[in-house]
Parts: sequence; C-alpha cells; structure tokens
Amino acid sequence: MAAITIDRVTKIYPNGFEAVHELDLDVADGELMVLVGPSGCGKTTALRMVAGLEDASAGTLSIGGRIVNDVSPKDRDIAMVFQNYALYSHMTVAKNIGFALKLRRLPKSEINRKVAEAAEILGLTEWLDRKPAQLSGGQRQRVAMGRAIVREPSVFLMDEPLSNLDAKLRVRMRAEVARIQRRLGVTTLYVTHDQVEAMTMGDRVAVMRAGVLQQCDSPQVLYDHPSNVFVAGFMGSPAMNLFEARLGEGAVSAVVGTQRLALPESLLASRPGLRAYANRTVVLGVRPEELAVAGEEATTVPAAAALEGDVDLIEALGSELLVHFTTDARSVIGEDAMEPDAKDLSAGSLAGAGEGVARVKLRSKLVTGQRVRFLVDPAALRFFDPASGQAIVR
Amino acid sequence: MVAGFIVAVVFVLPYLIMLLTSLKGRYDTLAVPPTYLPKAWYPQNYITMWTATQTPLLDNMIATLVISVGATMLMFVVCIPAAYYTARFRFPGRGVFMFLVIVTQMLQPTLLATGLFQQFRLLGLNDTWLAMILINAAFNLTFAIWIMHAFFASVPKEVNEAAELDGAGKWGILWWVNLRLVWPGIVTALIYTFVASANEFSASLVILTSATKQPLSVALSAFIGQYDTAWQYLFGVSIVAIVPSVILFVLIEKHLVGGLTAGSIK
Repeated sequence: MAAITIDRVTKIYPNGFEAVHELDLDVADGELMVLVGPSGCGKTTALRMVAGLEDASAGTLSIGGRIVNDVSPKDRDIAMVFQNYALYSHMTVAKNIGFALKLRRLPKSEINRKVAEAAEILGLTEWLDRKPAQLSGGQRQRVAMGRAIVREPSVFLMDEPLSNLDAKLRVRMRAEVARIQRRLGVTTLYVTHDQVEAMTMGDRVAVMRAGVLQQCDSPQVLYDHPSNVFVAGFMGSPAMNLFEARLGEGAVSAVVGTQRLALPESLLASRPGLRAYANRTVVLGVRPEELAVAGEEATTVPAAAALEGDVDLIEALGSELLVHFTTDARSVIGEDAMEPDAKDLSAGSLAGAGEGVARVKLRSKLVTGQRVRFLVDPAALRFFDPASGQAIVR
Repeated sequence: MVAGFIVAVVFVLPYLIMLLTSLKGRYDTLAVPPTYLPKAWYPQNYITMWTATQTPLLDNMIATLVISVGATMLMFVVCIPAAYYTARFRFPGRGVFMFLVIVTQMLQPTLLATGLFQQFRLLGLNDTWLAMILINAAFNLTFAIWIMHAFFASVPKEVNEAAELDGAGKWGILWWVNLRLVWPGIVTALIYTFVASANEFSASLVILTSATKQPLSVALSAFIGQYDTAWQYLFGVSIVAIVPSVILFVLIEKHLVGGLTAGSIK
C-alpha cells in the first residue's frame, strides 16, 4: 500500500491547452479519493499522469514516497480500471485476469490460485471460461476489477468505471466497488463526473474545474461548506439554489428579489465576514431540502425567514416531491459562475429567471401554479462573493 | 434466395465450363455449335498434361507454391511492424510514409518488368524464385499495410494501455494483444497476397526464363500455340492451379468476412 502525492502538477498539451494547472493533492495510504468534476475539467488527465500514460509538464508525482515522473507505467506498481473496461476480447475471463501474472512468469498453479481468489471476491467463478462478449456490462466491469485486484498493486486507479452501466446497476456496483476497496485497503484514486458517486464512495472528494482544484474535503464538509459557488452548485442533486441577494445595513437582512429575509445575530457571529458585505450584492445559496413549505411542515423557523415563489412544476420521485418554483429574484448558475470573462455574477448572461427547486414531503398539497411560501433556517444559508465566487465565511 | 442462387451460378459457371472442357477430347473443345457436356469423356487429359515434356507441370506447381508462400511470409514480416507502428504511434514523416505506400499502388508489374529485369540482373538474381518472392511481396505490401493499418487503428488505445500497465512491452503488446485482435485483417491480407502471387504473370514471364522455374501462370501459356491451342490441357492446368487457393480459402474463409470492408476508407 502506498500514498500518492501530486505536487504542483501541470499538464500542457503541445497545442498550448492547459488541461491541469498546478494540482496539489495528497491521497493517504488506504484512502479512497474521488476526483470529480464536469467533462473536460482535467480529472482523467490527472489520473493518467499518475498512471504514467501521460507525462506531466511540471510538478512531481510520488507513489509510496518514490518520485515516479520518469518511471514507466508498468513499474509504478499500479493497476487501472478503464471506463470502457479495456478487456482483451480474445481471451477468456480467467486469462484476462491472469494476463499480468503470466507476463510476470509466475507458475501456472500460482496464477490459477490467484485468479480463483479474485473471481471468488467478485462473484465471477462460474464465468471464468467465458469471453467478454458473452458477459453483461456489470460482469465485464467486475472482470476489469479482477484484473486490477489480482496484481495486488499499491494503488488502484479507476477512470469512471461505472459510466457505461445502466442506472440501477450503477447503484449496485458503486457499493460493491467501495466494499472491495475497503476490504483490500488499497489506496485508490477514483475519477467520476457523477457527484452522487463522489458523495457515496469517497473518503475524501476533490472537485476540479477547468484544470484547477476547487476544494478537497470529506463529502459532508463539501456538501455543507462549499468553498465557492461552483462547488456549491456542483455537489448535491438537485443542485443548491443560488440567488442574487443584497445585504441590508449591518448585514442583518438579505433582500432576494423583493423579499426580505432576516439574518439573526447568531448567523453573523458565525460568519463575521458578512458584515463587510453590508449594502452590497452577494450570492445567496440554499439547499433544496432546507426549504420547508409553510403550514405543511413542523418547523421552528421564524416566519421572517420566508421565501415566496410560484410553483412551476412538481416532480414525483416516489419517496418525495421536487417542487420547481420561480421567484422574483435573479438566480445564478453555479457551473457558469467564475468564468474568467464575467465581470461579476450578476452579469445578465449568467443570471436566470429566479428559478429554484425544493425537496418537499410526499403528502404536500402543492399544485402547479400555486403561490408557495417556503420557510428557511438562516443558519442553512450560504453566502458567496459575487466577483470571486468564494464562500463568505470569515 | 433465388437472386443469390442466380449470382452464384453466374460466378461458378465459368469454372464449371473449364472443368467440363478439360475432360473433352481435342476436337470436342472446338465443336460448332459448342457442347457443354463432353460427347466422350477424357479423364486421361489430367495424366497427359503432367507428362508433356514442354511443360514440366510438377516443377511449375512447386514454383507457384514456393513463390506464393515465400512472398506471403515475407510480406507479413514487413507489413505487420509497419502497419502497427504507423497505426499506433505518431512520428515525423508518418504522413509522407503512408503517402509513399499508397503511391506504389499506382505501379503495375507490367510497367516495371523491364526495370526489374535489369535490377535483378545486376544483383545476379534473374531466373530465381527469390527474385519473384521479393517482387510479389513488394507489390502486395501496399494493400496489406492499408488493411492492417485500419485493423490496428481500430484496436482501442485503452486495450493497449491496459496491456502496458499489465507489464507488456511494445512487442509484447503487439504479440499478445494486437495480433490476436486483428486476425481477420491478417487472413484478408494473407489470402489476397497468396492469390495475387499465384496468379502473377507479367513479371514472372520476364524474370523467370527457365521452364522448370516458371510458375503455373506462365506455364499455361505453353499450351497456346501459334496456330492452335490445347484448350483441354489449358483448362486442366488452370483447374489444378486454383486448387491451393481454394484449399487456403476453405480453411480460413470464416475469418475473411471481417476483413472485407476494412481499409474501405483510405
């Protein structure tokens, strides 16, 4: 087992495109670190640099304390699971799994034993004589994992291994992958674009955007305390509601559209940096589950902390409702925020029509077109600087 | 199904006529009006043609096999690394190299026969099987490289990367992974080269002057006289000449289908 250290690693392609910019990341021994971000954010490039399949333009990569920048992939003691599995279609499952051991010239009996062990862990024992074309997507994915496991590497690298599976199978397999990783205790760097996978699987999650690391923390900290508006909008499904707001005198209130939310002293005490934004525009964030329908749900939130809107659309998920509503505020789209060209987040091109989403209990009597009043605990509100997108904390 | 049957008949009919003519007597082959079935059957034609002194057919048969097999094997030794490297790696001059490979397609053995004769005379290789092996391998290399290039390029790069991570070197990736995956392309190139080499006429006629060293394609012309043509022997030898190609095809034809459309975009 080994730790991974990525120290100010940069990747610039020959055409000048900078895919990764000074990435600093430490993956502890035995940890499952998830690299998450939208397509093109550089997460797969970063993973491939750790694997040695891409050269780093600058910075150092270390595995187990050893700098591996100039070490060939096969000598880094790593195993990789690819998005499309990359199985050898002309070999049986047993030969696929045992191929690396065969190249190491291990005795046949040893190879068979290790392959049988890996197959046992992954539930592939009865499929060992099949070829990949005869397997389902989930089985192929497990063969790819088996190929990685059998080598007993120091590090697992996984490049969106569940992307090609259907939704239901993905849910089952992510639990299985996490279970196997915990059982083996191998340091794992896992790349995905799915923030639900990131939240459920990672010991820690590193969010990337446009080649830059945005925040690296445990899933719950990322969710509760996003460091900037991009992370706030990216993590969580549905995404955090982000509105343009103006803080009042002394930052004791926030005006969202034409509605005033009172901000208690306790909030200002925990976030003293807000006072510097008095009489200024900020981005106000609130998670969908923090909005309680007034009159329908028991709450201790004072009536002064209310946000009103018109119900646009109600999506029934079976266990709860997603209520889409519009307010008279201007909404901010987190993923579009922090664009280098934008002067600030209230620029017209970035603002939407005050749309928001709330998670509501199934027994709600809301109907489309109805005026709804949501109560929100001010402590659950998040505030971001409109120019830099950074969270206002201190 | 009826259409398929009609097409099959259209393709098989010439060979059937060849076979029936090879079993006819001399005058029967030139009968007017022509007859399809022999009036009298002459299976002994197949013995006569082997013993005719002006056409040492056994030597010609051996020559055809040696040249075809030799050219095919040499072609593979050259084409596999060339196609693999140009498909998988980027290097300066790659485009120029592929263009030059294509340009050789424009050159036919007939045009080059005289030049080749001079060249091999200087090398002391005229009238040798080695010369024809080299010529046939060279002229079939273009098609083989393009076919194999397309097949190697179709192997997903992640499969090669997985093999690299598993511990295979460059040659190991080629041997253990790529060659097994591009088998239809190999079969296509193999059949094409073997058949083209077996049928090659113009360069063989110029380079191979000894009757015992000539392949069957050239030996056939011995049956065409100034005033008369021994059609029954001509067709008999032709039937025998296509047997190796037919056997090869029967053995590996199920792998051929995958290769037929490869390289369709150059």
